[in-house]
Amino acid sequence: MAASQHAFDLKAQPGFSIIARLAIVALYLPILILVVFAFNATSSLGVWGGFSFDWFVKAWHNDLIINAALFSLFLATVAGVLATVMATMAAIAMTRTDAYRGQLVSYALINQPLIVPEIVTAISLLIVFAAVKSATGYSGTGYLVLAHTAFCIPFAYLPIRARLEGMDLTLETAAADLYADPWKAFLHVTLPRLAPGIVAGFMLAFVISLDDVVITDLVKSGGQETLPTYMLGQIRRDMTPEVNAAATMLLVPSILLVTAVHLINRKK
Amino acid sequence: MLALSQPIQPQTADRRLAVQAIGLHKSYGTGASAFLALDDVSIDIAENEFFTLLGPSGCGKTTLLRLIAGFNFPTNGQILLRGKDIAALPPFRRPINTVFQNYALFPHMSVAENIGFGLKMLGWTKSRSVDRVAAMLKLVRMETLADRRTSEISGGQQQRVALARALAPQPEVLLLDEPLSALDYKLRKEMQVELKRLQTETGITFIFVTHDQEEALAMSDRIAVMNRGRVLQVGRPREIYNAPVDRFVADFIGESNILSGRLVGQAAADAHQVRIAGAVATAYGKAGTSGDGTVQVLIRPEHVDVLDSPSSDCIPAVVEDEVFVGTDTRLQLRLNDGSTFTARLTNSPEQEKIRTSGTQVWLRIHSHSARLLGGDHVQHR
Repeated sequence: MAASQHAFDLKAQPGFSIIARLAIVALYLPILILVVFAFNATSSLGVWGGFSFDWFVKAWHNDLIINAALFSLFLATVAGVLATVMATMAAIAMTRTDAYRGQLVSYALINQPLIVPEIVTAISLLIVFAAVKSATGYSGTGYLVLAHTAFCIPFAYLPIRARLEGMDLTLETAAADLYADPWKAFLHVTLPRLAPGIVAGFMLAFVISLDDVVITDLVKSGGQETLPTYMLGQIRRDMTPEVNAAATMLLVPSILLVTAVHLINRKK
Repeated sequence: MLALSQPIQPQTADRRLAVQAIGLHKSYGTGASAFLALDDVSIDIAENEFFTLLGPSGCGKTTLLRLIAGFNFPTNGQILLRGKDIAALPPFRRPINTVFQNYALFPHMSVAENIGFGLKMLGWTKSRSVDRVAAMLKLVRMETLADRRTSEISGGQQQRVALARALAPQPEVLLLDEPLSALDYKLRKEMQVELKRLQTETGITFIFVTHDQEEALAMSDRIAVMNRGRVLQVGRPREIYNAPVDRFVADFIGESNILSGRLVGQAAADAHQVRIAGAVATAYGKAGTSGDGTVQVLIRPEHVDVLDSPSSDCIPAVVEDEVFVGTDTRLQLRLNDGSTFTARLTNSPEQEKIRTSGTQVWLRIHSHSARLLGGDHVQHR
């Protein structure tokens, strides 16, 4: 596209290209290096010793890694589903209504995890859960599911709300006109139109849960490891490219899901 | 020439009523910012009638339609459907369907699924529903497009699907909210004929909302003219055009010349002698009783002859402009009291006459065509 057609085009400004390149390099070069050394033949993280799949094979046969990965997937799925259901209900409640007192406060509360520093949330959850733990004696996965659900809700909420706000309200009116009670109108008209937003919301929530370290590390009970907390534990000991291999495997679903969200949203 | 002195026959006396609005009020907001969208509206609509709500935007016609549909609820008053009060029922419990201005077709469904939606919600069996959808597709001449997505068909076709969808459940009343406004001129004319045909074939009561007075005159059995939340006049198209009750209705429907005159005598029960711009004419209707004897007289542009020599009881005028518009010639005239007057003369090749600006002419008003306009907004039911 010719830059001259636009009144102001950032891409045409001097220095734009250099800054953009530097930013991309700064963001992605470390990740690229991490991926490259996952294929290193020696156990060095800094000196290239030839190409090999050994570390992937090793990681694949390491029960600790596999169990951590499975637990991560389990947690991301359960928390993602719960967060998406709650986010959907919240988004409908807050868009299909007349303005009410405290609407802005509700919005701020839902988005609270986006604003409050993660370490603060993590420590407050740690304190509360410690109290619950000593009172009840329960130390299962419930705490992690609760915590992950809570911080996933705003990520699921945003695309669902955006989709709802873009929807033509007369479609729901038309459904009511054609004998659909509110539940049927939701099921047959709102939900099918909302589905892309819900899928996008779930995928984002899933990725956020999958990648979380800080809250998980503080909330988890002994013996519970997600892939990120396992890797964090590994790098405190003597680190091998096995961690790089695990990280690379963790990258794949994240990249795929975020790309899918982008494609779904672009379609409309 | 239609005799206007005849009393207007009540239209609904011998027919069953489909919809009755009784003393409807609808206000939005509260306190100082409150807006009265409907102000004491009462209307009777007979079964099998093509009834039009006509008025400028913001007059309350769409509000009234939405109250009948059940999308909004009245602040006060009753809505009866065949004698039963439905004002508190939600829309999905009313045997009334709507054709929306933007059609509101479900984009995630095919044409056939859209038409069958109401039947599905009513719990019709699959086979019965399939038959009905097929009949509806035939009725609106869309048989070949049943499996298309609604985004893959033209605006006129979407319009037909919206009609078929609303007619499929055989509602007692069909509401149409400016359904033709998005179509181009030619398609709009076609759809006017089509709508009239559908109404006759189905025998369903149609309540049609429009701001287009030509459309209203062409299609309706009766018209209710609305302004500022009130119904000003209800009547057949001819009545509304020939005998508007007030200045607003006269101005809104068709082209009009509204002149100031002075009452000089009474000719019959509803006929008065009125002096207008230097001549005396007979005007029909109720004379406004208030004030100093000044009255407003409506004369349609096509209800005068333009003479080139003086004659008794003719209004002198001077030609200001002449515009040829094909079937007609419009003469822009100025009367000797300073007011302007538009005359419309039908063209024919042998009678064509060019009148240049400044030519002195005389206007002869057709008998029975000058109307007295009441100044107050009387509601006629």
